[in-house]
Amino acid sequence: MTIDLWGIGLQAINVLILVWLLSRVLWRPVAGAIAARQEKARAVIDDAQATQANADAAMAEVTKARADIGAERTAALDAARAEADTAARAALAEARTKAEAILATAKSRIAHETEATRKANAVHAADLSLEIAAKLLGQLNSQMVQSAFLSQLIEAISKLSAADRAALVSGLQHIDVVSATDAGADKDTIEKAICDAFGSTPNLRFVTDPDLIAGLELHSAHFTLRNSWQADLARIRKAVQDAA
Amino acid sequence: MNSPLDSVALFQIGPFPITQAVIATWIIMLVLVVGSGLATRRLDLIPGKRQAVLELLVNTIDTQIRETTGSEPAPYRSFIGTLFLFILVANWSSLIPGIEPPTAQLETDAGLAVLVFVSVVWFGVRGAGLRGYLKSFAAPNMVMIPLNMLGSITRTFSMFVRLFGNVMSGVFVIGIVASLAGLLVPIPLMALDMLTGLVQAYIFAVLAMVFISATVTDGQPGAATPPQKKDP
Repeated sequence: MTIDLWGIGLQAINVLILVWLLSRVLWRPVAGAIAARQEKARAVIDDAQATQANADAAMAEVTKARADIGAERTAALDAARAEADTAARAALAEARTKAEAILATAKSRIAHETEATRKANAVHAADLSLEIAAKLLGQLNSQMVQSAFLSQLIEAISKLSAADRAALVSGLQHIDVVSATDAGADKDTIEKAICDAFGSTPNLRFVTDPDLIAGLELHSAHFTLRNSWQADLARIRKAVQDAA
Repeated sequence: MNSPLDSVALFQIGPFPITQAVIATWIIMLVLVVGSGLATRRLDLIPGKRQAVLELLVNTIDTQIRETTGSEPAPYRSFIGTLFLFILVANWSSLIPGIEPPTAQLETDAGLAVLVFVSVVWFGVRGAGLRGYLKSFAAPNMVMIPLNMLGSITRTFSMFVRLFGNVMSGVFVIGIVASLAGLLVPIPLMALDMLTGLVQAYIFAVLAMVFISATVTDGQPGAATPPQKKDP
């Protein structure tokens, strides 16, 4: 058995050369490919993480924006609801005011119309009553009624002041003695009673006016002494109208 | 059959005897380099089957180095990986008729062991400095210096003897059986020889890695020797 040291050295050199060659054609290229892929994968992962972070940030912004929009929507709805409530209350108050005004106006108009109708009815009723009374009193135009009216006339003349009686008598114009029907035979009695009442002799003229219904009146240019049922009815009508 | 312990020089280049083992080594080198060059011509980001096989090989070696040393595999990958590949291909070259594996010759295994011995020194000095490398002989204490120095030689010796013994015996047995029993009988033994060749390549590479790692680790400042007892 012999061991050749040159042979050992040659084989060692051979393997050393092989180490050097394979490190260049095998180990480094393959390890470089693995490292390049790992680097690429790391870059892709980093990009993905960055993209994920951006997406998360965008999602957070969208979520915040959505929350803000929700809050704005709620606020806008609340504001619109409050405004609508205010407008509704104002419209309701205005409508109530208008309705109350219309109601008051209607009530007032109804009251006025009612009052006017009532007055018209009262006047109409008074007219009707007086017409009925006039017709009834026209049937009562008797001698006794005429005598009563003469008495009332004489009493009214006597109630005048002496100056008034003197002024009526001293006038140059005549005094009309108005009756509803022709006095006929009673003219002298009437004239005598009137002269006695005045205490002198006035210039009397007898006139017939059926509108008096019954009664005796004295008419002059500046003086009228009413004493008839026509005058009484006119006074009653006036009183009724005033009362209405 | 020639003695496996003898190597016959076919011719001489200067002082170097060119034996069949040397020529087989050159062929293996040529095949490995050309094959690697062809296999790594186009490496893409997305690997094909060929690239996947290469990356699996590199990843496996890197994992073994990382688990053994606990450090990054890049500084050791070329040396350990080439050792493993060369020994594996050399061992399996016995399957080709007429080829005697280079690792069945003492010179080749001794050369590999010398390379491991030198690489231990090289990586130890580079990793821990000359002082750290020398300090690694004092682990765990100064008393162990002679034994560690002796051990660094004997473990190298045991490496190449182990490899030589296993491969040579496999070739020798297959040769004997083939000469005695015909063509198909040695096939199971050849299959066993393949397994032996793979295991021996793995053991040689792992042992080299362990020796390098132990030297680098023992030479680090943190791996100080236990405190010596001081005399009063």
